[in-house]
Amino acid sequence: MRFLPCPAAVLAVCLASVLQAGAQTRYSAQPAGTSVKIDGTSSMHDWQMEGSTIGGYIEFGPGVSLDKTQTTPVGMQGDKVAAKVRAIIPVSTIHSKADHLPGTMDDLMQQTMKADDFRTIEFTLTEMTFKGPHAAGQPFEFDTKGELVIAGKTNKVNFPVSIEPLDGGKIKVIGTAPVKMTDFGVTPPAPNFGLGMMKCGDAVTIKFDWTLKAKEKK
Amino acid sequence: MNNKNDLPESNRRDFLRNASLATMMAMMGGVELRADDAAKSAPAPDAGLTKIPPAPPINVGVIGLGGWGREILTQFGKINTDPTRAKKDSAPVVAVCDIYHAAVRKAIKDTPNAQPYEDYTKLLADPKVQAVIIATPTGTHKEITLAALAAGKHVYCEVPLATTIDDAKEIAKAARGLVKLIFQPGLQQRSHPQIEFLLPFIRSGALGKYVMVRGQWHVNDSWYQAAPTPEREAALNWRLHNATSTGLLGEEGIHQIDTVSHFLRGRPASVTGFSSTIRNYTDNRDVPDTVQAVFEFPHGVNFFHDLTLCSSFQDKHEVYLGDEAAMMMRDFKAWLFKEAGAHEGGWEVYARHDRFYKETGIALVAGASKQTTLAGTAESFNPYDHVPLYYALDAFADRAGRLTDEVSKRAEMYSDEESSSLAAYLKTVSALNSKPAANWQDGLDATVMAIIANQAAVKKQKITFEKEWFEL
Repeated sequence: MRFLPCPAAVLAVCLASVLQAGAQTRYSAQPAGTSVKIDGTSSMHDWQMEGSTIGGYIEFGPGVSLDKTQTTPVGMQGDKVAAKVRAIIPVSTIHSKADHLPGTMDDLMQQTMKADDFRTIEFTLTEMTFKGPHAAGQPFEFDTKGELVIAGKTNKVNFPVSIEPLDGGKIKVIGTAPVKMTDFGVTPPAPNFGLGMMKCGDAVTIKFDWTLKAKEKK
Repeated sequence: MNNKNDLPESNRRDFLRNASLATMMAMMGGVELRADDAAKSAPAPDAGLTKIPPAPPINVGVIGLGGWGREILTQFGKINTDPTRAKKDSAPVVAVCDIYHAAVRKAIKDTPNAQPYEDYTKLLADPKVQAVIIATPTGTHKEITLAALAAGKHVYCEVPLATTIDDAKEIAKAARGLVKLIFQPGLQQRSHPQIEFLLPFIRSGALGKYVMVRGQWHVNDSWYQAAPTPEREAALNWRLHNATSTGLLGEEGIHQIDTVSHFLRGRPASVTGFSSTIRNYTDNRDVPDTVQAVFEFPHGVNFFHDLTLCSSFQDKHEVYLGDEAAMMMRDFKAWLFKEAGAHEGGWEVYARHDRFYKETGIALVAGASKQTTLAGTAESFNPYDHVPLYYALDAFADRAGRLTDEVSKRAEMYSDEESSSLAAYLKTVSALNSKPAANWQDGLDATVMAIIANQAAVKKQKITFEKEWFEL
């Protein structure tokens, strides 16, 4: 039997396609499934601080989507991906993993970061570039540029990230951002714990593993 | 009957074993000798973790500007100007409301920056108001509380919460599931530092086995308030009529009933009441001016409670009698009276001793130096700077300010977070409860006990408490 499509159904399908193409997808940060690690060095030993909180969102532009069965993101303009990103890390949620005096280390870090006046570390994306096709099912790799605010001072930064689509409309963003404390007006601490002066190195590495969940925005 | 727990919750041996000498000294007097010593030594490692930053400010609206409403404004004035506080104007009163124009006009003189209202719904619609204090007649609490919570305001509601158990339960139901808002019943004693200080002591069984509790509220006052018009007079004197009032036991006795229940950690099985009207009045009142109630608490401990408007003899106080010692609480001071041969603790040497006729009371006080503790007479000895209402309003403003800030910061982080996830997070923020305060269940319990005690007194009969009255 020959099937004649109903005009109303055709209209609905067309309309849905247009809406889909014009829709932005906003991924909101989730309270679970996130980690932040800050690795540093010192004259005595390396040190590490950890947290599990990154707030904010990623909003992809109209038509952009990440389908894990594809080798490239859908909806790119050249190799650029239209996206807005705001990531927020409260300084108070980052804690020392030291065996000795972790609370003192936390206090020292918060003083160093001027946490009473500047309670968050914030990142805002300015450009996102796709690195190149990859095997389907693997995370998408990007280079990002943006503005990072630490202790109230803003600097332009760039670092690579990977984004892996997960089940349930979630994505996981993994990245590593090297920074120098002095670039942000932060003096590397040199505490005296009674065992001689310890001097922290200027360079630290911020590693993050950020889980977000989609919420479609019309 | 429905006991929250057996009492005492721990025995004295446990209490003594678990309490260090420093803690005992801090609790029992001579505290500053050790505190001074401690201050001279180096701070303990990780001591910085215990720092709690000042609470963000919260804008307050006061609904009900009768005598108690004006007292609330006075206490907020002290809270906002206390030079010892880290931040001034932590709870600015930005709006006031009363249906009586003259009351609003009078309140505005003391709080010139507040927006005046004569309709509480308009105050609730004011976006500047973040938290409200409800100090209206008891029978109006439900309507205003439910509307305030629906409008997204934190609520401090005076007690009793309502004149009926059903209305009190409706308020409690609205308050039970709150995540982003504070509901605090006006059980002001719960926030007083003396109560917080004495609670572990008395619950430890330090008095031996409880024998009984006595409480009295004695004033010489008609309770009548004059007004320029018959309508205003009727509105102002709502406490004088059983249709709108929970009587002496409800409107005043509720605070002592709550404190006793809090200390004994249990609800009473029954209450037997008595009442009489001693004086002749011409104001058509039907609320008795003198009442007595006997509450049967668990383990055979009875609470004898009497209240009168006809005699001020010995004012207001409670006495907890144990078989090893008695404790008297009066004017938010407390003394221990020991039975002959009872165990003597070393801390008692440092404590203040006061004579009461033939008895010697050992002062129980926190936060006072030995010199301060020992100075003056029993009457002039005053270890606390403020009345209970100050501490209760301060706790409310503190909690509301912190919660609002936490919720706002969290929303910035996680824009579509589910309520259950937010609630779980907020439970981990210990600073939200850094100042003690009563919760909705405390408010419901105290209201039920007070309403039923008043009914027992008016009817001069015994009433057995039903478990479901306390449950939602």
